[in-house]
Amino acid sequence: MKKNILIGLFVLFSASVFGNDFINRFMEECIEKERPVNNVNIGKAMMNKMAANSDDEELKKTFKELNSIRIITTENEKDSKYYFKKATELIDKDFKDYNEVVSVNDRKSKINIFLRGADKESKDLILIALDEDNKLTVIAISGNIDFNSISKLTDSLRKEDKEDKEEDELTNN
Amino acid sequence: MTSNKIDILLAKYWECETSVQEERELQEYFLSESIAERHQQYKPLFSYLESVQEMGLDCDFESKIMEKIAEIGEREKEKKYLEIRIFEPLLKIAASIAAIAAIGISVFLIEKQNKQVFAETYNDPSVAIKQATSALEKLGEALKQSEQASMRGIRELQEFDLDWSMIDSLAVSADSIPETTDNVDIRERL
Repeated sequence: MKKNILIGLFVLFSASVFGNDFINRFMEECIEKERPVNNVNIGKAMMNKMAANSDDEELKKTFKELNSIRIITTENEKDSKYYFKKATELIDKDFKDYNEVVSVNDRKSKINIFLRGADKESKDLILIALDEDNKLTVIAISGNIDFNSISKLTDSLRKEDKEDKEEDELTNN
Repeated sequence: MTSNKIDILLAKYWECETSVQEERELQEYFLSESIAERHQQYKPLFSYLESVQEMGLDCDFESKIMEKIAEIGEREKEKKYLEIRIFEPLLKIAASIAAIAAIGISVFLIEKQNKQVFAETYNDPSVAIKQATSALEKLGEALKQSEQASMRGIRELQEFDLDWSMIDSLAVSADSIPETTDNVDIRERL
């Protein structure tokens, strides 16, 4: 009985140490010295500063709602493929509370988006993507993510010519 | 009993040929008062034998033994009980301290985790904004791309102009009919 309680506590303890943050786990377990990555972390305090500094109302609102944005990127093609595999494996293995909401796997790119707490105020989103040039991007965003405002943001941030290009692509297809 | 007969019996005795009955006779003789002068020297031997034969277990031997065993058992029990008594409270204390420490540490870590588990990369908000917006942009693009991909998939399927009912019936026939060359041909044509 006592043993069980202790084991339970230990599991809880270790889960609380390692289980919460995908980027931390990924950095600790998967990143190898010979395969360097770029890591960008933006926390809550910086989010607030960013919200105060930005002119765009939509951006302001979005920044205020988010707790953190963490990004991992690599330029090396081989490393990118390797880490892409590792990241999806890690999610499959230890982040079962994340649901896969988007999975694109075509000739051009691979994109997986995982989401936790979709119906809650505080969501955790993980994006793992390999783009056309086989470059890896892992983005972890936590906070109150509003997908409508994000798509609006993307629209407003996107340059006109980019949009035209995409439209051409669409019509060609 | 004549001393002659005793002589014969003794002679037999030394030869180890006496029967139980005869030995008893010898014993009786030596216990009696009338022992011949020449037999006096053997008296201690036979009286000794007598005492050895009489030696047996006391009638309260068993109860005594049991008492001793019980006593030892009790002492042993007391010992064990004492050990547990000294040991258990310590264990309980240790276990509860460990449990409290574990809870405390995990609560602390969870707190910490909710606050922040990483160092800020930037000090300048404007640089951070650039990164953050590009990240959000990427996310938005990924969402769009998935939309496009699914649209593209549907369109491609439509372009094929497949006869779904035919495919369904094919699947059924392929399942039900054992594989023949005809069936394979149909699939190849598809």
